[in-house]
Amino acid sequence: MAHNDNDSRMTAQQEFESLVTRYYSTLYQFAFSLARNEDDAGDLTQQTFYAWARKGHQLRDRSKVKTWLFTTLYREFLEKKRRQTRFPHYELGGVDQDLPNVPPAGVNELDASAVLQSLSQLEETFQAPLSLFYLEEHSYKEIADILGIPLGTVKSRISRGIAQLQQILTDGNQPATTSKTDPRG
Amino acid sequence: MDNQQAKEILLRYRPGTTDATDPEFAAALEQAKRDVELGRWFERHCAFQSAIRDRFRQLTAPPDLKEKILADYRPAAVVLWWQRPVFQTLAAAAAIVLLIGLAYIWTQPGEDKSFAALRNRVVRNAQRGYVMDITTTNLGEIRRYLATREAHADYVLPAPLEKLPGDGGAVLHWRNKKVSMVCFALGNRNDLFLFVVERSDVPDAPAADEPEFTRIGKLTAASWSKGDKAYVLAGAGDEQFLRKYLVP
Repeated sequence: MAHNDNDSRMTAQQEFESLVTRYYSTLYQFAFSLARNEDDAGDLTQQTFYAWARKGHQLRDRSKVKTWLFTTLYREFLEKKRRQTRFPHYELGGVDQDLPNVPPAGVNELDASAVLQSLSQLEETFQAPLSLFYLEEHSYKEIADILGIPLGTVKSRISRGIAQLQQILTDGNQPATTSKTDPRG
Repeated sequence: MDNQQAKEILLRYRPGTTDATDPEFAAALEQAKRDVELGRWFERHCAFQSAIRDRFRQLTAPPDLKEKILADYRPAAVVLWWQRPVFQTLAAAAAIVLLIGLAYIWTQPGEDKSFAALRNRVVRNAQRGYVMDITTTNLGEIRRYLATREAHADYVLPAPLEKLPGDGGAVLHWRNKKVSMVCFALGNRNDLFLFVVERSDVPDAPAADEPEFTRIGKLTAASWSKGDKAYVLAGAGDEQFLRKYLVP
């Protein structure tokens, strides 16, 4: 019996390692696009896999693993954001770094950080859909599942988000409005 | 679909992905192939899309992130439903009930198939009250009735009983074996009860035709065997009383 337990534990660990190898990079990219700093992105990614280790066995449909991981990461982000809103925490020198000016230059002249900074200037409701859109890991249906919003809303937000992003990147302009609404709204 | 509508659709198109198979984009893609202006716009869009996508892909996770995640791995203790405390408690309770049941069964005496048990049953039954299948004074008629019921009808009566009038007869059952009952009328509402059973149906049936006497409740019973039959005669009297009907 002990032999079987060891076998099952090894199998679970192997599955976990396989999942980490396959998804940790894109999960980190998604996390960074949301949190826009390395520490929070790393924490979110770690928390996501920690959640998987605890609850992943409850997922019966193993084809949904990727969606489950991204959904979990997004919820962790929202929860973390909610806590930070209640108890704001600023590190010295961190605030200026989070909101740099985006030069009105061609996209090819920008690095990833600058693109993400542009993304951060979008209305909040557009940011997560657009991040998932550009990661190109998910269908529109999966994006809707991850964000917990209707498919039509996902498409609408992506279209409007792209338009705003193009405007920001080409004109260097701020969007007309700055939303303070729930990112899922 | 005009070009503006096509642009609105193609704005969400991601080249090199499964979007190409999405029917939503098919018509707009066809239009972009046909319309030069739309085609140029679409090329610029694809370049923009690819550029942004590449910027996302430039985001690289910290080199030690994967190791950190793996180091933190603690597999969940998967508790299967039968391993949950509530089910374990129920299983334990069920096991206890089962053991009690088995203990009860084991401690119960086995099914008593002895002749004594048969005798005790039929004689006590005669004292509690009984129903005769046939009521007649004609002993021959009683015998015939028992024969028609495939009960024991080839019994041999002691001579004194042959002289008594009948009262009736019945077919009883003992451990799935038939027992013939013949009642003799003694007058004054007194009866003698004769029970006949196949000798082989009761392993410890009396071996000889010399009767054994025993008291069962208010009746005295005499037991004997003759041929392939075993007999019990019961009546409200003592041994001497019964002997009068056994021995000429």
